[in-house]
Amino acid sequence: MSSGTHSGMGQGSNPNPVHSIDRILASDEALAPSSGFLAAVMARVQEEAATPAPIPFPWKRAIPGIVLAACVLGWGAYECLRHVLQNAQQFSFALPHVPAAAESALVPAGWVVLALAASLLSWIYASRMARGTGLF
Amino acid sequence: MTWTSSRATEGPDQDAADVARVLAGETAAFAGIVSRWQGPLVNMAWRYCRDRSRAEEMAQEAFVRAWRGLKSWRRESSFSTWLFALAANVFRSELKQLPAVNLPMEEITEPAAAAQQLSVLEERRRDEAVRRAVLALPLRYREPVILYYFHEMDLGQTARTMGMPDGTLKARLARARDLLRRRFPHLNEGFVAASHFKRNEEVSQ
Repeated sequence: MSSGTHSGMGQGSNPNPVHSIDRILASDEALAPSSGFLAAVMARVQEEAATPAPIPFPWKRAIPGIVLAACVLGWGAYECLRHVLQNAQQFSFALPHVPAAAESALVPAGWVVLALAASLLSWIYASRMARGTGLF
Repeated sequence: MTWTSSRATEGPDQDAADVARVLAGETAAFAGIVSRWQGPLVNMAWRYCRDRSRAEEMAQEAFVRAWRGLKSWRRESSFSTWLFALAANVFRSELKQLPAVNLPMEEITEPAAAAQQLSVLEERRRDEAVRRAVLALPLRYREPVILYYFHEMDLGQTARTMGMPDGTLKARLARARDLLRRRFPHLNEGFVAASHFKRNEEVSQ
């Protein structure tokens, strides 16, 4: 136990580096493991050792199936898109008239919105990552 | 109470030898590791939850995870550092599933009497209240406190176990102590006890 390590800790009003909190928390009682603890751990370890290794996923057999499923899904998506585009041609859209001055202001506004969305996404991702570490 | 440091100097060779034997397929050699480290790990788990039976379950889980992950111990760090870091991860995730204390910090009250007037029994009750208050701290402050005092106030060892820089650890410990001091204002009156403790500490060194 080195007093030097914790002497820098006293940042509060207490000038004494060895605080009562240190004394209380450092003098916590020691708990002796129960007599059967070692045997219980070893029983679990032996049990795990006796369990056969998990069967690896059969990638070689699964790959043709995965490729086939991807092809079917891709073909379905292509057909759906083609159908939607064919139907869309039957309708005609007329964009509302936007004055030239407003149009020139809309372009930077679009970039600002895009930048804000990217910032929001990165913030959400970073906070989720930080929460996963248990540090925040 | 010097188990964390003494075990590390006592049996690093035995640990390495036992790990080699286990990796060679001799499962029984793991018993040597368990018998050397069961005290520290049970005590560490106890500080996380303050429930004896749960502490043993958590320590058991940590040993099983250590057994599964022995291959991942790169001998750059000591076995104890690796084991404590692994155990801290296990205990942290175990307590996330079922928090040890759901009591808000505000509801943990300090005994009414000032520190100087406490009888031995009252002092024990107050000390236990302080230890339980640690479990009510937010996780980011709770774990540094638990591990810092478990490692007998060794900042470097605590930082290695938590995998964080010394400066961050110091800041979190200072904040945790502020929170505890606010909850237990009478502790600031314990100068006599604190200086007595310091004298004892110096004598023991």
